[in-house]
Amino acid sequence: MLVYDPSTNPLNNNDWAFPLLEILHIAGFAFSIGTIAIVDLKLLGIGMRNQSSAQLLKDTMPWTLVGLAVMLMTGPLIFSSDPNMYLRNESFRFKMGALLIAILYNYTIHRKVAKSNPSGALGVVVGGVSLLLWVSVVFAGLFIAFV
Amino acid sequence: MLLSFAQFIQSTAFFTELRGSGYVYPVILSLHMVTIALFGGMILMTDMRLLGLAMRSYPVSDVIDQFRTPKRIGFVLMVALGVLMACCKAEEYYYNDWFRLKMALLAVVALHALIFRRRVYNRAAELDQMPSLPAGAKLAAGISLVLWIGIACAGRGIGYIEPPLDKIHAQFLEAPTASPQGAVTTAHRH
Repeated sequence: MLVYDPSTNPLNNNDWAFPLLEILHIAGFAFSIGTIAIVDLKLLGIGMRNQSSAQLLKDTMPWTLVGLAVMLMTGPLIFSSDPNMYLRNESFRFKMGALLIAILYNYTIHRKVAKSNPSGALGVVVGGVSLLLWVSVVFAGLFIAFV
Repeated sequence: MLLSFAQFIQSTAFFTELRGSGYVYPVILSLHMVTIALFGGMILMTDMRLLGLAMRSYPVSDVIDQFRTPKRIGFVLMVALGVLMACCKAEEYYYNDWFRLKMALLAVVALHALIFRRRVYNRAAELDQMPSLPAGAKLAAGISLVLWIGIACAGRGIGYIEPPLDKIHAQFLEAPTASPQGAVTTAHRH
């Protein structure tokens, strides 16, 4: 029978591999959530007055994708270091749910609304929900170590 | 001197309470990370605009000037949250090499601002007029990028150093009133 033994994972047998992955993971979210937040703040009427949200979305999108790709590559690797712990961890499960919703939301509603250069309430709601979703992903990620 | 100040500050009622609180500390930590995403993202974008790697369709002044206020707010929040956490475990961090490195890098950031603020960041409108960005501006952006990535790395490193329990006095200071939670946090993984 095939049983996965985390102690055979190279990640658990090298002092630097895990911290390095974590740093890349953090850099990934600085890029992805950072660029998404720039659009969100614009929708909320904060910063970047000279550009439209559609323009901002277009110009930050490649870096959002780079950040997401880094996060989604380093995340599963970090997970592989101790799958049983993560699967049992409530904060981790919450994070996966929030992440899924946040990504879907980002590439559907958020994208569509940002492209339409909404004025006022619609922008505030859509930008606010986006920020809230991503902030909850970050929170849940950190709380994995505390629950 | 610095050590006794660290011992004093973390033994104050406020920080003892904060350290022992089950969820307040991780909430502060999470908010600190959220400011990395918000404020750090803007630093990345400003630097990469100066390096010509992102947001190239925008005038440099648009990126620098419009991010200035949100970046300042983010920076103040980030530092405030960082100070709260540092004061909770001041004595332990006094010995922490990653913490020392992080503080040193932050000092270099201040130096960076001293050198480049006038020359680059406050002259954004002039930079717009130039056919290509001067080497000084790119240098400023490159150094800033390296410094902030270094600060994030050093920050992550702080958590990897075990508190030198044999040297730490706070556990004795707290002992009479320490809640089980407080004891666990002070002697984290032991």
